[in-house]
Order: sequence, then C-alpha cells, then structure tokens
Amino acid sequence: MKAPRVQLMATCLADAFFDDVARATVEVLEHLGCEVSFPEDQTCCSQPAFNSGDWPAARQVARHCLRVFNDAAPVVVPSGSCARMVSHGALVLFEGEPEVDRTQAAELAQRTWELGDFVVRGLGVVRWPGRLGMRLAFHRSCHSRGTAYAEGALTLLRSIDGVEVVEIGEGEQCCGFGGTFSVGFPQISRGMGTLKIDHVLATAPDALVSADSSCLMHISGLADRTGRPLRALHLAQVLRDALRAASPEVRA
Amino acid sequence: MGDARQLILDRVKAALAILPEKKPLPEYPADVALSLGAPAPGDAVAGFREQLESVRGRSFTDPAALGAWLAEQGATRGYCDPALAGWLGTALGGDLALETTLDRDRIDDYQFGITRAWGAVAETGSLILDDATTSRRLGALAPWIHIAVVAPERILPDVGSAIAALGDDPNVIFCTGPSKTADVEGILIEGVHGPGEQVALIYSRA
Amino acid sequence: MSRHQEPFDSFAAAQSESRRTAVRLGSKAGHEKRTEVLNRDYPGSPSRVDSLRRLAGEIKQHTLDHLDLYLERAQARLEANGAKVHFAADADEACRTVLGILQSRGAKRVVKTKSMATEEIELGAFLEREGIESLETDLGEFIVQLDADKPSHIVKPIMHKDRREVARTFEGHGLGAYDDTPEVITRRAREHLRRKYLEADVGITGANFISAESGRLVLVTNEGNSRFCLAATRCHIALVGIEKLVPRDRDLGVLLNLLARSATGQALSVYTEFITGPRAASQPDGPDEMHVIFVDNGRSEILAGDCREILRCIRCGACLNVCPVYRQSSGHAYRGVYSGPVGAVLTPLLAGEGFNHFADLPRASSLCGACNEVCPVDIPIPDLLLRLRDRGKRAGAKPAAAAPSMKTFARLASRSATWRRALRAGRLLGLLPGPLRPRALRVWSENHVLPPWRGGAFREWFAKRNRPPVDGAV
Repeated sequence: MKAPRVQLMATCLADAFFDDVARATVEVLEHLGCEVSFPEDQTCCSQPAFNSGDWPAARQVARHCLRVFNDAAPVVVPSGSCARMVSHGALVLFEGEPEVDRTQAAELAQRTWELGDFVVRGLGVVRWPGRLGMRLAFHRSCHSRGTAYAEGALTLLRSIDGVEVVEIGEGEQCCGFGGTFSVGFPQISRGMGTLKIDHVLATAPDALVSADSSCLMHISGLADRTGRPLRALHLAQVLRDALRAASPEVRA
Repeated sequence: MGDARQLILDRVKAALAILPEKKPLPEYPADVALSLGAPAPGDAVAGFREQLESVRGRSFTDPAALGAWLAEQGATRGYCDPALAGWLGTALGGDLALETTLDRDRIDDYQFGITRAWGAVAETGSLILDDATTSRRLGALAPWIHIAVVAPERILPDVGSAIAALGDDPNVIFCTGPSKTADVEGILIEGVHGPGEQVALIYSRA
Repeated sequence: MSRHQEPFDSFAAAQSESRRTAVRLGSKAGHEKRTEVLNRDYPGSPSRVDSLRRLAGEIKQHTLDHLDLYLERAQARLEANGAKVHFAADADEACRTVLGILQSRGAKRVVKTKSMATEEIELGAFLEREGIESLETDLGEFIVQLDADKPSHIVKPIMHKDRREVARTFEGHGLGAYDDTPEVITRRAREHLRRKYLEADVGITGANFISAESGRLVLVTNEGNSRFCLAATRCHIALVGIEKLVPRDRDLGVLLNLLARSATGQALSVYTEFITGPRAASQPDGPDEMHVIFVDNGRSEILAGDCREILRCIRCGACLNVCPVYRQSSGHAYRGVYSGPVGAVLTPLLAGEGFNHFADLPRASSLCGACNEVCPVDIPIPDLLLRLRDRGKRAGAKPAAAAPSMKTFARLASRSATWRRALRAGRLLGLLPGPLRPRALRVWSENHVLPPWRGGAFREWFAKRNRPPVDGAV
C-alpha cells in the first residue's frame, strides 16, 4: 500500500483529553505521505456501552460510527482498544442483527487499522526516521492480544535512533483500566494499576509508552494520585517527536 | 434413568438443531503434538532415561546396580511380581526378602514393589502399566519405591504412539515420575499417595 | 473507600494480606511455569502453541456440535466394555443415582478424587447427609474438607491457604502435633489416607475425558489418589459432565499434552489412567463394577445459548492463574465452584433461573483477554463475558455500582452536533463541586488525577491548519 488517503478516527478520549495524540497521529501519517481526513461527525466507537452490557445503546453509537466512516478509505485509529472494537467487538455486537448492519460492520472492520499496525503492515514501513535519546518502557495494552498491534509498535520504537525499549515485568498483566471496570471495581483496578506502576518504575524509564491513551490515562492518573509521577507518551507522540528531531530532509 | 437419558438427548438435539453451522472434525498429522522432548528416531532408550530423570525418576539397566541402590536405601523387604521373583531376585543380589503375594493388611511392610511394565514413553519418561502385565495395581502404587521392569524394545517414542498402542486392556496407566503434590504453598513434595521413588529397570532377559 | 461498590470488589479489598499474597504468588508461579514449559516444548514462529490451542479448540467444538452423536456412541462403547452407564438431568438426580449404586452394594464408605462435577452437584455433603462417609483424597481437597472450606482454585484447591493454616487444621483434627513443614503435612496425609482407601467400599471419580471411539475414560492426577481409589476398592463410579467427550483416542493425545502443560507445567501429569471398564480377570486389584454417570445439570441449556464455547473447557486453571482480577480477589470472590474467568462465565450460566444473582461476575473483568490467550481450547472468554453482561442487562439484573448511564452516553455519541457541544461544555465538568459530578467521575477521582479537559481542541487545530482539511466525501 502506498500513501493512501486515510480517515482518522481520533477516538473520544483524544477528542476530550488527548488532542496532542490526535495531532501527532496526523503528523505521523502525513509524514508517510498519507492524505488525512477527519470526518467531523465522528464521536466514539461505542465501546463504553458495549462493555457495560448496554448493547442497545452500543448499537445506536456503533451505527452512527458505521455511517460516519462509510467512505471506502482505510480508517486509522491511534488506539488498539478502539481498533479492536471496530474490527472485532462490533461483529459480536451485531450478531443476530439485521444483515445490513452486519455487512457494514464487517466491511468497516476489515479496513480499520491501529496506527502502529497500519504503518508497519499496512504501509510496510519498518524503520522510523529521526532520533530520540530515550529509554522507553512499553506497555502492551490488552487489546493488542491476538493482533499484530504490539509487534508493529515495537518494531517502530526499536528502530528509532537513540531509543532504548525496555521490557516491563509481568508484561501480560492488564493495567486495570477496563473502562467502567475501573469505577465498578475501583479497589481491584487500583491493585492492578499499582502492580503495573511498580513494574514500570522498576525499569527507570524516561517515559511509559503505549498505543492506548486509555491505559496511559489510568496508569499515569493513578501514579499521580499516589505520588509517584510517571511520564506517559502515546506511540504517536514518540513517533512525532522523533521526526521533529530529524533533519529537515527527513521531515520533508 | 431411561427418562433422563432421553431428556438429555432431546435437549442436546434441540440445542444443536438451531446451529447455523457445525465445526467439522479436524484432521491433523499424528505428530502434531510432538514436543521438543521427543527423542530422535532410534534413540528411545536414551531419550526415555533422560526424560525419566527430568521428572525425578530413576533408571537402571543393570539389575546388580539396582540391587546396590536398594541396599543404599535400606530397602530389604518388598513385593515382587511372582513371574520376576526367581531370576530377578538372583540378579539383584544382596539380601532382599521378596514376597510374591501382597497382604493389604500389612501394606506398609513393603518398602518396595517390583512389577512389570507393558512399555514406556520416551517423550515423557512415562512407564506404561496395564492390568495384563502388571501383577498388582497396589504393588506398583503403595510401597515407597516402585520398580518397573521394562524391556528396551517396548519403549515407544512419544505420547501419540503410546495412545495409538493402548489396545484392549481395561486399564492402562502412564506413570510419569514419583507421585507428587504442590498443594501446600506450591512446594513440591514427592510420595503423596503413591511412590516417592519411581524406578525403571530397562532390561530384557536374553 | 467508595460507598458505591460491587460486593466482589469489597470482598477482594477485605481479604487478609496473607491470603492476597498466597493467591498472587501461587497463580503467578502457575502461569510462569505453564508459559515456560509450553514455549520450551513447542517452540516456533508462528506460535506452535497457538496452533495447538486452536486445534484442540476445534476438536472440542466439533464434539459439542455433534454431542448427541458422541454421547450415544460413548454409551454404546462403555456398555460393550462392561461398564454401566447412567444419565442424570440435574444435580439431585446425579446424587441419587450415586446413592442408589452405593445402597445396592451396601456401601458405607467412599473415597473420592478431586472432581469439579462432584463439587458442582455437592455430592460429598449429600452423601454425608445420607450417612455415608465420603472422603476427599486429593491433599488440597482433603484439607478443604477438614476445614469445611471451599476450594478456591480448579487445580490448586488450597491456593488461598498458607502452611500455618494447614498445620493448625491438621492439629485440630488429631493428625499430629502442630508442624507446618509441607513434607510432614504430606506424610501425615499419606498415612491417614491409605488406611481409608483400603477400608473403602467405593471409589468415586470425575473424568478428564472420555473417548467416544473406545469408551476410554481418562483420569489425570499427580498424587496418585485416583489410582489408589481404583486399586483399593471394588466399585468405581465416575461422574462425568456430558461435555467431557472427545471423538477419538488420537484426540486424547492433543488434549493431554495441552492439559498437563497448561495446568501444572508438566509434559504429562504423573498418573494418566485410561479406563475402559472393570479390572481384567487376571488382575487382583481394582473395581469389578464400573459406573459412568453422565451429568447434564444445565449443560444442555448452555449448549443452546450463545456462550456454548465455554463447554470446551478442560478445567486446567490456566485462565485463573493469568487473570489479574483473580490474582487480586482469589477464587472465593466468585461465590461458586468455578472461579476466575471460566467461573465468571460458568457460574451464572449453571445457575439457570438464578442467573441474575451472579450477573455481577461477568462484570468482574477488565476484559483484558489474557484468559483467551492462555486457554488450551481457545475459548473466547472475553466475548462470552460481554454477551453475559448484555444478558444481565436485558434480564434486569442489578446494575453495576457507579455505572454511568449509557443511555445518556448513547444520546450524546449518536448525534454529532450534541457531541460537539458536549465536548466544549465538558470543560466545565471538572469545575463542578464534588457532589454534583457524576458518580463515576467521583469514584474515578478517588484513584486518579484526571487529565485536563481538552474537549474540541484537536478539532479546532485540524480546522485551522494551513492546508484545507480533506473531507471524507471529496
């Protein structure tokens, strides 16, 4: 695939809190020559309602999402979690629903990409230019399981000049966010998050990196609350920052 | 019970009738689950010994060496398959009291039990016992030391081939090392209900 | 901390530190051993472990999809082999069938192996009420029975106890003076239980698998207790869930290789026993009568629903070991025989009419998917948990504590203009005094510092860029 037109699904979290992640995503995609559009009517992938068990509500939002992204161009999402909602969750959500929903959901599912996966497997880019002298702890967010997302992100991070990626202990363990899980089961969630922070801090990184703002919001929010601040960066921000440090030719 | 059977089958059939599609029975090569621990072809005896050791069992190929080990353990009295007692008693040497009947009332008097194994599995270090070959299930289980005599040519390469060779004996058991538990704090303890020593004597009486 | 709590979360938080540590370390060690051994024995890329897990899942799913056929076939083979086959529609019928067999033999003493099916139908308590001594012989289950406790793990029933607790139990039951050395505890159980085996009339077991092709019933243990039951007694009763079948003997090879590695990180469990019927005529030890009781107890209803994949489960416990929620909360938080991710699916389903009483269990998960990743039969547990959340909601189960309204969310998120307005207005949300904020936000804020609200900032940036934005419709 060569420098296609892509649609950005910014995610509701970027829309509300993490505008810099969405901006970085645009810059990363444009650096690769993509023409990036932002369908303005987009809201959310429907996952909060889906995970809460309110499927009629989730379908209402998911149908909106299907309408907004009905253009045939690939959809790129700076979130493994939202990408999995579109590429897998929606298929479960629409089981037993009218065929038109299922067809549209399946069609959107197969052209929706998580950012790192899109760069590596979609565009075939496995070396990231620029330079960043940083020691990065990489959190494999859970929605990367069974996908190539984490592999894509790691391929790019490791290829950046000056970046050292460190493995964090018990990497398979969830950080404890889980959407409404973190408010329904706050003490278990905090226990999980605390363990994650322990492991991250043990690697003494310059920053914690993930392909999901949701995990980062939980981990760094808990770290701040418990007096152990932690710098959190989204994959897109790391890629963008590396580019900024690159020579003008590379940036062009 | 006839009612329950019909009821269950009817419910199952009703459940399956609405399935849009049914998974076909997968076909796969016989060695699909062969592990890296499986021995190279022709190396079954060495492979078996290595694997048995890795599960904390023991093997001997020389009856006299086994006899010496038993003496070291302070084992002097045990149960022995009557079909083995004659020649093996001599071959083990030493001063062993081999009883060819097993008295359940004196079960703790038997420091060891010697039985024949039908075969063995090299991939896992397992001994294969069956009802026809192994003179007494209890003799292979209750004493602290179990010694199974297995012929080298009966050592099968892997679990798959051992299952394919199960035959029509009503009870076949793969014994892979000593009886063990890790129930208390995950600490490995051997000899829970069965033997604390699982020993193979790989030997064929020429 | 929060006044709005799920009972599950409160239970987890109220555990003693020693229990929490025991469960965390026990399950972590189990997961690490499993992973090390599977990757050691099945190396390769793409993952051979994953292809084996998928194959095993297909074998089990095929069996479930043709369960009527395989049940009838297994029954015919078992009967041809000389076993007596019974069917029990529910727990009560299963218990009564066992009792009938015991009474027909005048049996008074039973030795039992660990079996989830017998736990599920509460056979031990039933037999005790009927005046029959029913003794658990698995070391962990034996301790659970002495303590009148419940197992907290499918494979490691006393993962939640430390050695001191066990030693106190032994002392209290006359099994020697206090000694918390695991070796001493094990020796004492050995001495006590071997007398019990030899005195017992009947051995009761579950089954890990039954091959429909041969009628072979497979029993797997490490301690050798099932073998002792089947060496010392004259009658064997096996209680078997109807989903325990596999089509052919060769399928046992695939499943056994995965079961032992997934459960305890062993290539094979110490004792893997293949039983087709009563002992051979030449064999002095063992049962001359064998009964197999196929138990439904809600399984056929599960088979008819959209969570039928859970019936593939081979009870290895790998999903418990890896589960971060299990590690924080222990098995007892799940209030059922089955705990962890598999329990969060099975317990509400097996409750039938009582589903709503357990509707919180599927919510007690961050949906991280680690359970699916380790499952030897590749059960899509997160998808099943989600379906059960939907079902709970539709069935009017008590909603989650602190759950934000998804109706409001859906109204916002399905109307673009409303969404954009809310993004801008949301900036005010953080300025509201505590009690006026939504409950979920309050709970969130107890654990987290909320990032600054930047609603709509990206949209403004994108719109203002030099290059005109390329609209999707162009």
